[in-house]
Amino acid sequence: MKFLVTKDLAHSTLLSYLMGSVVFAILMYLGFDMVLHAYVIGLDLHSVSVTLFGDVENFVEPILIDSLLLQVHIDLFMTLFALLILSSIFIRLYSDKVMTKWIVHFLLSMGILAPVALILAYFVSTLFSVIWLISFVLWHLLASIVAVMILKKLLAK
Amino acid sequence: MKNTALYAIPIRYMLIYVVFILISGLWLFFLSQGLDSSGSVISTLKNVIASPAAKSVEGLVEVVTPHLFSIGTLIFVTAHFMLFSTKVSQKVSLKVAMLLFVFALFDIFAYFAITFGLVVSGWIKLVAVSGFVLFFLLILGLVGFSL
Repeated sequence: MKFLVTKDLAHSTLLSYLMGSVVFAILMYLGFDMVLHAYVIGLDLHSVSVTLFGDVENFVEPILIDSLLLQVHIDLFMTLFALLILSSIFIRLYSDKVMTKWIVHFLLSMGILAPVALILAYFVSTLFSVIWLISFVLWHLLASIVAVMILKKLLAK
Repeated sequence: MKNTALYAIPIRYMLIYVVFILISGLWLFFLSQGLDSSGSVISTLKNVIASPAAKSVEGLVEVVTPHLFSIGTLIFVTAHFMLFSTKVSQKVSLKVAMLLFVFALFDIFAYFAITFGLVVSGWIKLVAVSGFVLFFLLILGLVGFSL
């Protein structure tokens, strides 16, 4: 992403439009990712628990470790790219703000905490499913706010 | 572009993300080779060497296709940060990155040799995976050292 740092492109209209478009696509991705995880894992404590540990009364089998791990493997890859692009553009546009550093730290640490907590919930304790739920919702929410802030700044130019 | 040091933050996190991606990928591979039933990594490794799990061509294509794109992109994004490095020469970065690409392709296609019966033992896959992971860790180390 060297092109995002290059000074020569600081006033390029093309780069502004490209950044706006990719951020808009990522904003939509964040929404659909929430919907996808609501279907696959669940977005409330009860459905997460049913997915991970099954439900004996309703004859629901727990998720297979292969399936869960594959989801985590894909999530790590997708989160990395979405947040890497988003944070690079955010730093480019808001590098003068003190909060930028902490927002990027929080965003990327929550993004990695979510998949790790999901695996720990499966193997260690149900407590981690609460951590997964909080970190997953938080990074999606913050990433969406960051995306809107980027779009606002780009549109104001 | 007042504060370019800020860009080091997402790059540092990227290194951690990639390590987790590699760990989950290795874990998935061992699961597909019977880690669940054998119980330990060592006995799974022995299983891979002695009798690697049978896989259909369709199953392999299903795994190979997304990995060609994702691993290629991941190596490109990780290795391109070496363009900024003032501590490691471009020559070294080039060699490591190209060897990583070669091992990535070797790793992605190694299982075809087993499925098509060119080799009986799973050694080829283990060598490919080990080379790929080691070179990826090396390039991550170089990026980390350059920050």
